[in-house]
Amino acid sequence: MWGLLGFVHSRGVFNCILLQNLFDYVEELALVTYVVSDLSFVSSRIFTLHLFRTAFYKCNPNHSDNDLSDYLTISPESMNTSSTQYVTTRTMGMYEPIHHIGMWGENFKTNGCLTTSPSTILEDDTKLDNQSEDTSHGTPESKPVDKIQRRLVQNREAARKSRLRKKAYIQQLETSRLKLIQIESELERARQQGVYVGGGLDGSSLGFPGAVNSGIATFEMEYGHWVDEQNRQVCELRTALHAHITDVDLRILVDNGMTHYFDLFRMKASAAKADVFYLMSGMWRTSAERFFLWIGGFRPSELLKVLVTQLDPLTDQQLLDVCNLKQSCQQAEDALSQGMDRLQQILTETIAGGQLGEGSYISQMSNAIEKLDALVSFVNQADHLRQETLQQMSRILTIRQAARGLLALGEYFQRLRALSSLWATRPCKPA
Amino acid sequence: MPHGTIFPATVGRGRPSSIGGEAETAEEAVRGGDGGSVRSKVSENAVIVFGKHGCCMCHVVKRLLLVLGVNPAVFEVNDDDEAEVFAELSAIVGGIDDGGPQLPAVFVGGKLFGGLDRVMSTHITGELVPILKKAGALWL
Repeated sequence: MWGLLGFVHSRGVFNCILLQNLFDYVEELALVTYVVSDLSFVSSRIFTLHLFRTAFYKCNPNHSDNDLSDYLTISPESMNTSSTQYVTTRTMGMYEPIHHIGMWGENFKTNGCLTTSPSTILEDDTKLDNQSEDTSHGTPESKPVDKIQRRLVQNREAARKSRLRKKAYIQQLETSRLKLIQIESELERARQQGVYVGGGLDGSSLGFPGAVNSGIATFEMEYGHWVDEQNRQVCELRTALHAHITDVDLRILVDNGMTHYFDLFRMKASAAKADVFYLMSGMWRTSAERFFLWIGGFRPSELLKVLVTQLDPLTDQQLLDVCNLKQSCQQAEDALSQGMDRLQQILTETIAGGQLGEGSYISQMSNAIEKLDALVSFVNQADHLRQETLQQMSRILTIRQAARGLLALGEYFQRLRALSSLWATRPCKPA
Repeated sequence: MPHGTIFPATVGRGRPSSIGGEAETAEEAVRGGDGGSVRSKVSENAVIVFGKHGCCMCHVVKRLLLVLGVNPAVFEVNDDDEAEVFAELSAIVGGIDDGGPQLPAVFVGGKLFGGLDRVMSTHITGELVPILKKAGALWL
């Protein structure tokens, strides 16, 4: 860089003055810069980028490189355009200095093309050379002057090459960084939606996708469709209830809604056969829904509590029936929970059988695998309980109440999913 | 207060008892010895649950019935006499030659009631308690 300054200096006093002005300005940015001739448009671009970087970190000491990339819209193409486009208007504080630097850059460019071939640059260079050589043309003292000129040319070329290399490297870095950020955010989004990325992977660690279980992959896809369809049905119910359609038409909607839930239980049964641990983990559900997880889904008694408050007014008989249903639900849930505890106990005994520490445990493994079949039964029984509860509710309620109930339930799940999304995109506290 | 019928445990039942299952001791679980005992057990008890040893679903059925106030008799089927017991059960059920009812199987009032599925659904609809009362398993 000092070599270049030397070159600039040799061009005459004019450049020195310019340089001095620039020094004054740049002192603010705490960075030494340089302005070279028109043909060094290339270098001014790289330097603008460096200036911006340093200025950014000076003004935003707590920001990481990620933030920097957020503010930058660097792409190979943008490098060719005016340097004022380097920064988005989000950083107004940054915009002014950059704009100024850009203007400086603009003042000194001939053609704006960064992809100017080296030969063109060389051409311009030789033009300059010719200009400066003109003054010393033909004199006997030209030999040592020629030597100096040649050395300067060599310096210039070396500097130019290094600038181009640097430019290419920075470009590469910037695009890679942007791509990395993009991929990370996509992956986060996918994880939030519970995409199955492979068997031994839990939700908290990021790993490479292993062999995907096809039964689970199918389930994931179908569940995505299921959620879309449920959202559509919720909208339909909402409009229908406000429009006061006939009970006959409402019954069709209610039956559709019920069947839709039964479809889910059927899908879950297949998924349980494919990978019961996956289903029980609830990774196919959003994070807030997972908080309420009980044997691969929601507790029917909890959902009943949500529903009852939404269904006023209920007749006394209805209230009694719902109360009984809630109690029966709770008893059934407790029985299943105790069965699960028993299974855990048995599994622990099986796995820990024999001497722990021997290092060989094949027989324990084969015994344990057999026991795991019971998990599938538990998921099936839990879903069976959910289905029976739904059906019993539909018997207790009138058609209009059932429609309101389905709408309430649908929106309750929507709210949980919205909460999960909000949670996923919450601003991260500074480290 | 109805109580479960007591069947003395036979010798040779060398399985370790479960840890912390204090409710287990309240119910008397036995292995079937001869084939005839199956039929007699079914007819003698208002409610009897047949289940494989260590089956967790059987445990679920027991817990649910207990909560309702029923103390069911439990017949634990071991691998050794599995075939025998199944044959007996098929005979009781009515000769459907499908290897016997799926376990766990609940017999109420001497007749096959069903598995955990049926117990759950009838419990939710509220039908289970009247049936149990009618069979004399519940007095209230």
